[in-house]
Amino acid sequence: MKIDRRSFLGLGLGAAAGVTLSPMPWKLTDDSSIWSQNWPWTPVPIDGEVTFDDTVCTLCPGNCGISVKKVNGRAIKIEGKKGYPVNDGGICLHGISGLQYLYDPSRVRFPMVKNGDTWKQVSWDEAASLVAGKIKELKDKGMADSVACVAGSDKGSIAGLYKRFITSVGSQNFYTVDTMEKTWEMLIERVHGLNASAAFDLAKSDYIISFGTGFIEGWGSPVNNFLANSSRKERHAKLVQVEYRLSNTAASADIWLPAKPGTEASLALGICSAMISANLYNAAFAQSAGKDFEAFAKFVNEKYDPELVSRTTGVDAAKIKAVAAEFAKAKSPLAIAGRGKGESAGSLMEFAAVHALNCLTGNINKEGGFWTIEQQDSLTWPSVVMDDSATKSYAKPPVGAVTSVIDSGASGAGIFSAVVSAVSGGATDSGQKVLSSVSKLFEVINASEKSPVELLMVYNSNPCFTLRNAKVVKDAVNKIPFVVSFSPYMDDTAQLADVILPTHTSLEMTQDVYSGACIAQNVIALSKSVAVPVYDTKHPGDAIISLAKATEGSVASNFTWKTYSECLESIMGDNFATLSEEGYIASELAPPVTPLSVDFSLFAAFKDSISLEGDAKSYPLTLVPIDTIRLASSTLASPPFAVKTVEDTVLFEKDTLVEINPETADKVGVDDGDYAVITTSVGEAKVRIHLFDGIMPGIIAIPEGLGHSTGAKGEIITKDGSPMAGITGATSIITQTGGVSKNRGQLENLYIGGKGVNVNELIGPVMDPASGLDAAWGIRARISRA
Amino acid sequence: MTQDNHGKKYKFGMVIDLDKCTGCGSCMVACMSENNVPFKEDETNKKDSITWMRVFKLTNGKPFPETDICYMPRPCMHCGGKGDHGHSPCVSVCPATATDYGHDTGIVSQIYTRCFGCRYCMGACPYHARYFNWWDPKWPDGMEEYLSPNVSPRMRGVVEKCSFCYHRYQAARDKAYHEERRDEIEESEYQTACTQACPAGAITFGDLNNPDHEVCKFVNPDPHQCGKPRNPKAFRLLERLQTNPKVYYISEREWVRKAGDNYRDGEWGKEIHSSDGNSHK
Amino acid sequence: MSELEKKTESGSVDAAKDGASSEQKAEGDSGVGMGILFFIAAFAVCFLSGWLLFPSLLYSKKEQPFNFNHALHVAETGGCESCHSFREDGTFAGVPKNSSCIECHESQLGETEDEAIFMTEYVEKGKEVPWLIYSKQPDCVFFSHAAHVTGAKMDCVTCHGNIGESTTMKPYQENRITGYSRDIWGENIWGVKKNPWDRMKMDDCAKCHQEETGSKGACFQCHK
Repeated sequence: MKIDRRSFLGLGLGAAAGVTLSPMPWKLTDDSSIWSQNWPWTPVPIDGEVTFDDTVCTLCPGNCGISVKKVNGRAIKIEGKKGYPVNDGGICLHGISGLQYLYDPSRVRFPMVKNGDTWKQVSWDEAASLVAGKIKELKDKGMADSVACVAGSDKGSIAGLYKRFITSVGSQNFYTVDTMEKTWEMLIERVHGLNASAAFDLAKSDYIISFGTGFIEGWGSPVNNFLANSSRKERHAKLVQVEYRLSNTAASADIWLPAKPGTEASLALGICSAMISANLYNAAFAQSAGKDFEAFAKFVNEKYDPELVSRTTGVDAAKIKAVAAEFAKAKSPLAIAGRGKGESAGSLMEFAAVHALNCLTGNINKEGGFWTIEQQDSLTWPSVVMDDSATKSYAKPPVGAVTSVIDSGASGAGIFSAVVSAVSGGATDSGQKVLSSVSKLFEVINASEKSPVELLMVYNSNPCFTLRNAKVVKDAVNKIPFVVSFSPYMDDTAQLADVILPTHTSLEMTQDVYSGACIAQNVIALSKSVAVPVYDTKHPGDAIISLAKATEGSVASNFTWKTYSECLESIMGDNFATLSEEGYIASELAPPVTPLSVDFSLFAAFKDSISLEGDAKSYPLTLVPIDTIRLASSTLASPPFAVKTVEDTVLFEKDTLVEINPETADKVGVDDGDYAVITTSVGEAKVRIHLFDGIMPGIIAIPEGLGHSTGAKGEIITKDGSPMAGITGATSIITQTGGVSKNRGQLENLYIGGKGVNVNELIGPVMDPASGLDAAWGIRARISRA
Repeated sequence: MTQDNHGKKYKFGMVIDLDKCTGCGSCMVACMSENNVPFKEDETNKKDSITWMRVFKLTNGKPFPETDICYMPRPCMHCGGKGDHGHSPCVSVCPATATDYGHDTGIVSQIYTRCFGCRYCMGACPYHARYFNWWDPKWPDGMEEYLSPNVSPRMRGVVEKCSFCYHRYQAARDKAYHEERRDEIEESEYQTACTQACPAGAITFGDLNNPDHEVCKFVNPDPHQCGKPRNPKAFRLLERLQTNPKVYYISEREWVRKAGDNYRDGEWGKEIHSSDGNSHK
Repeated sequence: MSELEKKTESGSVDAAKDGASSEQKAEGDSGVGMGILFFIAAFAVCFLSGWLLFPSLLYSKKEQPFNFNHALHVAETGGCESCHSFREDGTFAGVPKNSSCIECHESQLGETEDEAIFMTEYVEKGKEVPWLIYSKQPDCVFFSHAAHVTGAKMDCVTCHGNIGESTTMKPYQENRITGYSRDIWGENIWGVKKNPWDRMKMDDCAKCHQEETGSKGACFQCHK
């Protein structure tokens, strides 16, 4: 017997026949086709009972009502809450992406201490005692005033706690970011003598003149404005947009007045002049309520005649007169100011010129008009107790103190009193309120040889990204010996910190919320925690309370609450129970009891005081930022979904595209898609060119919200020395493969980080002498082919 | 052709008011969030960026300051095809029956597990509403937690597109059955995620066969002309291709309406008659 | 005639010329015998392994967390709906959660070891029971219980069989390739079914829809 090839043939044929007559090949064919349709690594989300949790979105000051859709208690989607006074079911793209903020890859997973080039995990207690130790040390040396805090805003109980902490330590160095709301508040105080916020009843006004606001691009309360804009279209209420670029607001407007950049205030006064000379103003109101009206009338008639204004602004005089006539004849006309999203303070005098229009019509504290809303933040804080060293340090002025001067004869004092909100918690009020500015703070630090700030706490803000001349801010932060970040993310500022005490993101925590953002509504709400904390983070309120306790002494005695929730309940009073039950309290707007007075003297003293940085000869063009709702440009970076919606004419690969008019491009010698270098007196950047007909020649427009750094640099060492573990608080495992961690070991967000240019590295701050705040809205620049 | 004759015959459609649209992008993100649409580190190559709902920016091409812009949200048009019989461009070419026309709803489906990725449908779609998964979806660590069980996550190698949030129709029908209403569903019970999210209220969704529904009132579709809008301010994209989309646009601006099709000089404004009458009797 | 064919032909002629043809023939005969033997052996091995070994290799067996006596519970509660209920929004809750179980099982009711496991391991620890679901469809399937049970007034047995009469839980078998439960394809490896509930693949759905409604239905009717 010999085994030859036929044997093998027999073997093969036999095997084939045997297999064919068995179910194996037929079943395998079916199974493998199914297998190819359901890869095991494709996630299979688990189904279950659907519930909705209502809360308030706190990503921006708009504060929309949201419904968080959950399956088996797992949050899967965020929707706008129908019937909520602010947004009635509408929602912006960032609000919808709220869950991406929750699982952001750059989230700081646990408290960390910087150790040279690496980050070391520490426990919350270790971190708190480390920071508290530094503060105690400074306090003992009588240097408590060198402890500073930068917060996003001073509204609400959490910001109140941070301010209270700084005050208790004995420092006046509590800073908030300058926004248009601040400028409006100062203006109201100056013109109407009220301690109130500005609000605009846009949904009911029948004629709105907007001076460069991004009315539908994130200005004010974004979703409320979208609703107002649609209602405006239905009511045939007109919108006039004054802007040098065809923004979305300008495109949506009925009349687009492309005034030359920087001449917006002149145009406003030109319209005032046309109204007064045609006797189209509310004379009864102006004369009864107004002080120094005659002086103002004389001033604008002499200096801002429409013909004159036409020359400076480039807007036809006939058009100015026509708009003035329509505005004056409207039932509820309204003039609004605050460039772009209103995320920077803006020029007080420009706001004044715009507000003069409101004062001429008298449409104030009426339906469809301008409203003055008194502080609704009704928290009752126990008074702050200070020991001797704290009292002594507290007497020193803040590092970023600024003075504001208005050379109006009527004002007398010449110094504005700062709008100090009630959250200061009975801080020792020595009579004179001191005005300070966060931009000034970093400027002073940078100018000093040794930083006057020894310890900086950063809560709910990202100054290294959002402040003008970000590079200088970064240098200043690097100069500060000890920086503590409370950021949930490894953002541009947290990267430079020495200690990070990571706090919850908005969906993980409870907080009190007050309608602001110039919305003509009175809503107090309780934003509830709707998600289990994903990482080892703390509520920012609890974080500061525990830090205060660790600091001991008089500081600790000002923080007697065990937890933030206990604190909130006690300082909110009766509202707490109602809010816990109802979620929000909306009340009708009511005009102030005392009749409104108008001091026209400020308007009559108008002086165009903001000039752009850089000389016109070496920088022939004007660089301005573009605010769009699709890119977040404040503290938080845009979530991946939002970045995805950004057009390829704004961001392509890792390049920012700047808009210029084809005419400008011809002159400069660049074409669509070309690489070019923008140079300003502050910095330079490589960008690409996008030709856009809708922008005024001579202007370069650059999108805001890009140019974030990628995240943590340097290794992160965990407590047990192992590489950083993945997600800890997962509520369910939904991948078929068991949710294997795919951690990079770095806290980076590559969806927004490392892309494009940060506008603030090209534009520097310009101090408004009238307000002391940063009023930069652009800078002189040149562009050349790269 | 598979005829599905049980149940009531709906013809779901959408009307988008381009004068109200602010280009904010909420619809795009609401869609992504609702439908488990993945995202990549770089989404700037718009050809491979999956956006079931995509907002295009149109300009009138005039120099400063006569320039005007208009944002145009573009979901899947759910074409009825020539004669509105369900011969949608994509359905006609699919060799795998991975996409079909629901005669009971007028919605064009896409079944990911059935699709083998030949991309004929993408070539056939005149609206670029279909997208191919060149890569497996990848979420950052932990972010898979937010995925919705109502829409299957896709895998590499398949085509996906807007479904008019069909799973919301399924959910509405479930509720209707449960409440013993057969599958009679109210206008408000079935709304797409983009419609619900639009903060400008620019998107309206409903049954084009039901004269009580807003969509029908807005455009007044002509049943003898396959749903061609009788409202002179309304139009459909590439009307003359006879794809018979179920997405209508409204604008007061003539240049915007004109941008809805490729008109040669002198063609705009004249009544367009298609060669075969475009109607079914 | 191509060059190749020419070569082959001449090649065979060359072989014949070798004069060893008879010897080769004899060996060839035994080769055929061996071939047949090998054929039969291979056939038998493959055929049998295809029938017997393959199914056991294809499916992995998993035991349920503990035994559940359907018959007992049906007798106590009165029907499937008492535990497998619809939610208010019309979705089907499927396997009940502990919260519904403890409506009766506040404390241990019987003497069985299974109930003891349930009480100590799950209820007391606040953990849901990780039941393995025999009739689980893949992620791409949307199945409306409301349409079938409430709309078409179908009986649970039509699709799920007589599980309500069972006293023990059979082991859950999972297809190692597809990840599907064995009950989707059916117990029979050829997929032959005697009862409607023996197999639940798309064709089975389509067949019933064709019979009952006159149409297989559009894709989206059951897919997501």
